[in-house]
Amino acid sequence: MATLEFKNISHSYEYSFGKVKDKEKAEWVINNLNVVWEDGTANALLGPSGGGKTTMLNIISGLLRPSEGQVLIDGKDATDFSPQERKIAQVFQFPVAYDTMNVYNNLAFPLRNSGYAKNKIDSKVRKISELLNLDEYLYESAGSLNEGEKQKVSLGRGIIRDDIVAMLLDEPLTLIDPKLKNGLRRVLMRIQRELKLTMIYVTHDQHEALTFADYVSILNAGTIVQSGTATELYDNPKQPFVGFFIGSPGMNFIDCSLSQGILDCKGFTLDIKTFLEKKGVKEEGEVKLGIRPESVLISKEQTKASTPFNIQVVENFGHYRIITVEGMKKRIKAKISSSMNVSVGERVFLSFPQDKIILFKQDSRIL
Amino acid sequence: MGIELKNVTKYFGRKRALEDVSFEIKDGEFVCFLGPSDAGKSVLLRVMAGLEKVNSGSVLFDGQDVTKLSVRDRNVAMVYQDFINYPNMNVYENIASPLRVAKKYSKKEIDKKVHEVAELLNIDKILRQKPEEISGGQRQRTAIARAMVKGAKYIFLDEPLANLDYKLREEFRTQLKETFSNREGAFVYATADPIDAMALSSHTGYLYEGKLLQYGDIEEVYNNPSFSMVGKYFSNPTMNLLEGSLNRNDKTIEITKELKIDVSGYIDRLSSENYILGIRPKDIGFKDGPNKVKICGELMLSEIVGSETELHIDYNGQNMIVLEPEIVHYQYGNTIELYLDENRFFIFDANDKSLVAKTGGDKNGNA
Repeated sequence: MATLEFKNISHSYEYSFGKVKDKEKAEWVINNLNVVWEDGTANALLGPSGGGKTTMLNIISGLLRPSEGQVLIDGKDATDFSPQERKIAQVFQFPVAYDTMNVYNNLAFPLRNSGYAKNKIDSKVRKISELLNLDEYLYESAGSLNEGEKQKVSLGRGIIRDDIVAMLLDEPLTLIDPKLKNGLRRVLMRIQRELKLTMIYVTHDQHEALTFADYVSILNAGTIVQSGTATELYDNPKQPFVGFFIGSPGMNFIDCSLSQGILDCKGFTLDIKTFLEKKGVKEEGEVKLGIRPESVLISKEQTKASTPFNIQVVENFGHYRIITVEGMKKRIKAKISSSMNVSVGERVFLSFPQDKIILFKQDSRIL
Repeated sequence: MGIELKNVTKYFGRKRALEDVSFEIKDGEFVCFLGPSDAGKSVLLRVMAGLEKVNSGSVLFDGQDVTKLSVRDRNVAMVYQDFINYPNMNVYENIASPLRVAKKYSKKEIDKKVHEVAELLNIDKILRQKPEEISGGQRQRTAIARAMVKGAKYIFLDEPLANLDYKLREEFRTQLKETFSNREGAFVYATADPIDAMALSSHTGYLYEGKLLQYGDIEEVYNNPSFSMVGKYFSNPTMNLLEGSLNRNDKTIEITKELKIDVSGYIDRLSSENYILGIRPKDIGFKDGPNKVKICGELMLSEIVGSETELHIDYNGQNMIVLEPEIVHYQYGNTIELYLDENRFFIFDANDKSLVAKTGGDKNGNA
């Protein structure tokens, strides 16, 4: 059980390999990251591919030495520790198990290698296999199991030694059949809670990250753009990217200019003067308005504050609909109740409640 | 005008892939065939396209029997999961290839058609790029463009979104629906994902072990699933199915002592002893109100999906899913009170799984 920490970590493959000598000219995959993963917490690293997730993971596990900065384990500098010395378990997309060995021997393998006593091995194997719901398969060969069970065996092998302090999971469910995912997910969550391991889960799937982790860090283009709980990321995105990436469909954005409390959205205006005053926002100029599809209000009748748009697409989701509307060269999505009847080509009126509007200036949140 | 199948049966060796399938698709409809893997969806598409022969029954296009016609003579196109045909050709050449093969279009005509369809699918800016240089969503759109460029009347899509991540699926669904609304003919789409079916289609059919259990207007199938399998599948998340038995004395179906459903209005029609009661996750909540039945269960798992939360609850050993229309966090292992809307139950016969009645409709249990 340990707290893991990144202190000013940057990495450039070119620079580390000596291909580019000049720091300024090298391409940096991750830039000056400072992160703390507290002891015993469930964390996720979420982001699109190419954002630097795997590089980060390899730096944590010790497979890669960062070009700059320090990795701390419980406050101690572990930057030069080997993966073995770090005592961090890793689970990959592909299950790693010996197909010809039975589950018992697969789990016992790391313990035998570390010279554990026979009775100690037996009690550990039984304890872990019970936690993983693998006890009924103990004497079956790993090769005969389905991918979900096999992935549990990989996980078990990783965490079975007493000295393991953390586990890293690199998209462990990506290749698992959807029907088996739920069982595996529950097992992962139970392991984390019972063993109180610090867990870092890497994925591009927001559904998995938000379900699995208490704290999610969103990684894009080598930097962590925001960290927080699922609710914080959804309610208070600090950058447009987070608003788009979290939530389905993502947030709508409109380029506007703000002057004296009037938001000019190029086609219609919104008076948000009192609201800005209340919030103490003084910025002006070019801004980006963000609003979630579930916050856009749709009406069939025009009111003073509403703007006409034409319905382009109607998608039915059973208990709600997502409509895509166009007007004034803008395309906006709105979530409406399935009891409201709408059709393509119809004209509707949109309004944006002030308290649901988010404003960004040069990609940072001002309201 | 449209596609009609009459009593189509198809065997592969001794394995029956389709059994006595009949339906009619009219031009202008977007049809999704839904069902678990191996239900016969792909075979059905291939039969319509002329890529598979049938053992008995007939296929009609615009009233003409085309059962014996090959794919070349049917004016159809097919889009698969693995979308790009020629990985070393650029987007333009991939789209143009069916026209070049046909050998009846001039260079100028080809150029015009490629640009038209590329513009429609919003890939006109990447025509000179290679498949490896574009995103998964753009590759999929290239495949659709390729299918549409010859002006085929019927386009068959076999799980085209299965390989895309959720953000791309979201974007692609909207685009596909918009593209479709501007053209003649019909789109026929096979998917295992009920969200695709609901969002995209005007009509849907549910296949189960080669049989078409239900076919009809999308709202009709959603509101009146004729079998419990259809109800369960055609719901996102899946419909909860609870076992209950009829109590003739107090005219209820009893699931547990605390959960009884009044069936006094149509008890005469209930001839069996055992029933399956279906209720959608959206019709269970945490707030009391009129017509609500209270039960208690234990929270096992909560999943954040898009902008909603799915809670998995253990109720008397049965798994029950509850849908909350926002992102919420609950403590696992806690006992929580649930309120079920008693007007939202589907009553299926436990033996043949057929829909017998619905609560909350008229007195007779009809919709």
